[in-house]
Amino acid sequence: MIPIRDENPNNETPYVTYALLGLNAVVWIFLQGAGFGTSLESSICEYGFISQDLFGSGGAAVCPPSSTSPTLSLVTSMFMHGGWMHLLGNMLFLWVFGDNVEDSMGHLRFLIFYLIGGIIAALSQGFADPQSGIPMVGASGAIGCVMGGYLMLYPRVKVTIAVFFFILFWTFRVPAYLMLGYWIGVQLLSGLTTSTAGGGVAFWAHFGGFVSGCVLVYFFKDKELLANHKFYGWTDTRSEESIWDDPRNRQ
Amino acid sequence: MSFDIVPLEQEHLRDVINLITLHDEDDGESAEYDFQHGLEDHWVGLRNGKAIGITGYRQVPSTDGTGYLSWTYVHPDHTNQRIGRSLLNFVIGESRSSGTKKMFVKVSNYDDGSNVYQYGVKLYESAGFREELTNLDFYDIGEDQVIFGLELDTSFKESVEIKDERPTIRFDGIFNISETEGAYTFSWNVQKNPLFGPRSFTVQDLYTGLRAVHEDGGRIVFLTFPSNLPLIHKPLQEAGFKYVGSLKNYFELGIDEMHFVHRMEE
Repeated sequence: MIPIRDENPNNETPYVTYALLGLNAVVWIFLQGAGFGTSLESSICEYGFISQDLFGSGGAAVCPPSSTSPTLSLVTSMFMHGGWMHLLGNMLFLWVFGDNVEDSMGHLRFLIFYLIGGIIAALSQGFADPQSGIPMVGASGAIGCVMGGYLMLYPRVKVTIAVFFFILFWTFRVPAYLMLGYWIGVQLLSGLTTSTAGGGVAFWAHFGGFVSGCVLVYFFKDKELLANHKFYGWTDTRSEESIWDDPRNRQ
Repeated sequence: MSFDIVPLEQEHLRDVINLITLHDEDDGESAEYDFQHGLEDHWVGLRNGKAIGITGYRQVPSTDGTGYLSWTYVHPDHTNQRIGRSLLNFVIGESRSSGTKKMFVKVSNYDDGSNVYQYGVKLYESAGFREELTNLDFYDIGEDQVIFGLELDTSFKESVEIKDERPTIRFDGIFNISETEGAYTFSWNVQKNPLFGPRSFTVQDLYTGLRAVHEDGGRIVFLTFPSNLPLIHKPLQEAGFKYVGSLKNYFELGIDEMHFVHRMEE
């Protein structure tokens, strides 16, 4: 199940979302060799986040020692990807949800929100498996943060999703709370039922990023930018100018 | 008796100022000052080479085809000859053909016993103007400003969705509104949006302006804003401003001009 678009127009151009999409693409092509050759593996080992490097304990190392500090890798890892589908999937989610979250807090705040969300996501995966020597890469933790923020801000927005069944697919319009609720439920269940020993999807990063987004958005959202927003909150927004409907506020 | 309507030229100016002064000395002075900024879009009614009427309009900057009816007077010796109606119909036609989509006219409801206000209103309403709002006690206590509007572009218009804007508005001065006794307004400018901090002016900003008006002896403050600025309403209401009304589609289709008032004794 993937989101295709939402029915939530922007007030302002989402420059940071566009920049993040571009930066991830540039890193993928120029630093990771677009998935070809030895660049992919070396970049993942060099810039990926490895729990045991930060927490100082662990099992077998998969990668040779990296020159990137474990702390810095909390940030660099969120711009690395493991394959084309990994990159495209993440960028699709960022494309659909990032613009409106940026619209709710402004450009610079959104960038900080995104980076903090990505760091918390990586740390969540690290706490879940501190001994892991497997590098973790991907923007999905930070994007999970964006999705958590989106759920808190715009739960009623209709999101068009595509559901695939082999070569067939169907599209549906569902409220954001259903789509995002389903997504985080799957992450939680998968995290609880999947062993982290062999690598694979970092469900706890998704979960941690999402929860951090739900909380952080409370501090990062800008009430001025959300004033009169048609889809803000769980109920219909009362327009700011309706304050003048009160006869006491009229000449 | 017929008369000619010709563009206002420098040679007509003295007669025209005198004509206006015959009705109202203050208006005569204001018109003289106003005409220093240009005579375009003004016409004079001539009979036997003598100015017997004046009319015209002014485009409002930063709007999509909004105009105000300018000085429109008939010489007192030539009233009741449908000259005013002819001048008004002429200026409406001229402004429509030059792209004006909506025209407004501001009038005082002061009546010196000659029923001039009632005559004026009757004339404007017969031309299609409709009252849109009244600023009570605008010119003086008991003398209101009534604003009439006339849609000139009557073609079918699909409803448009207007995007809210959140400019950073900061007040930068107060000034006495001309032709009024103690009515003030604030001037404001739009600044670059900050990365952090409020865009909206605050209730404290409004209090600062109100204090300055009070110290200057003002009795009332009028403010106007476009209707697509959601951040203005809360501070205005908290500072005690009251909503007067709106001039519909003033800035463009779907964006009105909202009028607010604050009485100093409140």
